[in-house]
Amino acid sequence: MSIDFSFLTRVAPILAEGLSTTIWLALPAMLLAALWGVVVVMGLLSRSRPLAAISRSYVEVVRNTPVLVQMFFIFFGSGYAGYPVSGFVAGLLALVLQNGAYAAEIYRGGIRAVTQRLAEAGLALGLTPRRVFRIVVLPLAVRKVIPPLANQGVLIIKDTSLVATISVAELTFHARLLADRTAAVFEIFFTLALFYLALTAVFSGGMRLLERRLRIA
Amino acid sequence: MPANEIEIRGVSKWYGDHQVLKSISTDMKRGEALVVIGPSGSGKTTLLRCINLLDDFQEGEIRIGGEAMGYTLDAAGKRVRRSETEIARMRAKLGMVFQSFNLFPHMSALKNVALGPIRVLHTPPKEAAEQARAMLARVGLADKADAMPGQLSGGQQQRVAIARALAMKPTAMLFDEVTSALDPELVAEVLDVMRQLVQEGMTMVIVTHEMSFAQAFAHRAIFMAAGEIVEQGEPAALFQDPQSRRLQAFLDRFKQGYKL
Amino acid sequence: MDLLLHSLPLLARGTITTVYLSAAAVVLATVLGIVLALLQLYGGIVLRALVEVYLYVVRGVPLLVLLFAMYYALPYANVRIEPVTGGILVIGIYFGAFMTEVFRAAVLSVPKGQWEAARAVGLTTPWILRDVVLAQAVRMAGPPFINTCVMVVKGTSLVAIIGLADVTYVGKQIVERTLAPFEIFGAVALVYFVICFALSRVGRYLEGRVNYAS
Repeated sequence: MSIDFSFLTRVAPILAEGLSTTIWLALPAMLLAALWGVVVVMGLLSRSRPLAAISRSYVEVVRNTPVLVQMFFIFFGSGYAGYPVSGFVAGLLALVLQNGAYAAEIYRGGIRAVTQRLAEAGLALGLTPRRVFRIVVLPLAVRKVIPPLANQGVLIIKDTSLVATISVAELTFHARLLADRTAAVFEIFFTLALFYLALTAVFSGGMRLLERRLRIA
Repeated sequence: MPANEIEIRGVSKWYGDHQVLKSISTDMKRGEALVVIGPSGSGKTTLLRCINLLDDFQEGEIRIGGEAMGYTLDAAGKRVRRSETEIARMRAKLGMVFQSFNLFPHMSALKNVALGPIRVLHTPPKEAAEQARAMLARVGLADKADAMPGQLSGGQQQRVAIARALAMKPTAMLFDEVTSALDPELVAEVLDVMRQLVQEGMTMVIVTHEMSFAQAFAHRAIFMAAGEIVEQGEPAALFQDPQSRRLQAFLDRFKQGYKL
Repeated sequence: MDLLLHSLPLLARGTITTVYLSAAAVVLATVLGIVLALLQLYGGIVLRALVEVYLYVVRGVPLLVLLFAMYYALPYANVRIEPVTGGILVIGIYFGAFMTEVFRAAVLSVPKGQWEAARAVGLTTPWILRDVVLAQAVRMAGPPFINTCVMVVKGTSLVAIIGLADVTYVGKQIVERTLAPFEIFGAVALVYFVICFALSRVGRYLEGRVNYAS
């Protein structure tokens, strides 16, 4: 069985029309989720009981419901409520809300992982709790947190495929469009898979370089 | 019956470029209790672990009861590794007790002790259980047979570990700093059991920092440093009248640490 | 509110499909995970390489793409299988990769001292696995296993996109007809939440039992 790889040159450019949308969705989603996660973790660790409870509930709800349902909720709900948002915005919002919660949990774990003993050593030196956090806990926690965040980033890239269902013209949407018109489905989805593999490989590679520069791994 | 229980001939080991054992040779007679002392990095634990091949060695020969351990020479004189089955069989004849006990946490003390006999010696389970109880009684833990390791103190866990090794009816036993991880007040109960074993005539190789024990009960002592045997002889002589400067310095440091 | 009550039977049937899909996919993923983990740890070079390729592909490709691939390829395939079965297969194979990592990490997390103590007594690898290591590995695997199960349940929602009548699909259909997204998708979310939250609670309980006190 000889495989004719020329289909790649024919299919790839068509799919590539959606590539920029995928990237324009994934990167902002990652950044916003990372930032939103900081807000959420502050809520989780806050000394105000009600705030902590709200944050906790938010995280639990978001973690235990599928992203797709969240996207549908926002997309259809916004239209019904009179402020319709585009599929892109709905997708972005859902990705940020979902991954922000996961980021918050990652941050919480990273802070916890810096042991009590190190913090106590800082206090024993005479540093105030706030300075202990800034000088001892935060730098170590940041190092701990980057690998799991890198993982989340890969998941975000993969989840961008879901917005195809709310009519956002990214990679998967284009692939589906093409597949509806031609019979070369194997070639189309094989190429699509290659695109995602390439995206995640580039992203993971970049993250690993970052980890090495920060001397983590 | 061979006169030597354990023969170590020209054993050398490298970790990459670093040589951790430099052509070590020594023999042990049946019933002899040998103590190995030395600073960390001297290779004493590595040597012990080579005897039952938990660590590999690149040169030399080790014989247990006359039989080659781990490696033999083929017709052309090349070193050949014996099969895993043969190595496992020979390991079963040696008992080893570890610094961190390494009891199986999901099994009771009784099951820990009986596992070896059941699986390796093919002892019927009922008999193995009875023998295990006897072993536990021998180390003073008859009433703890059904306890889980997590419920036992460090000293008790180590004694169970000794019972586990004894249950295999070994021809010789290896002790790897077995009291180093124990709280001071728990050390005595373990040394007690070891003393009994020495007096019952068990062949033992003991890597330890417990100098008083070594002086009192060992038949021979070896001082190792940087992968070599620097001095050896009767413990009393070694400790009271060290000949080499390195041993003198080592013992001095112990005295400075209020340990002697 | 009236609408919600009217929709309950449909949503209930969708929920049953979701539960069925999830359970079947979990079983498939678990079996795959155990087999592949053992192959990855103790198999020959060729087997290990194959497992690595499989893991790499699954980790880099979205589940939706795999589902689409199956959905579009099915009419061309000579094998006739039910879409539901196809969905279970794809989801099970996808999460099988995650399960492989869970079990592999669990076996590797058993302390080296356990292996050494077992070898010192004369046991060989297969027996060590059976008597000493696997029991401990299973305990360590509990929480991440449950986490992966939760991921499977959430992942089944994607079959709605290829027309399988799970609770998400049913919800979308109802919303498209009646335009009541908040109530209906809220109810759908609640279904998932209840299932996943319950699973997580089980996981939290198991985490407490990793210690062997009694």
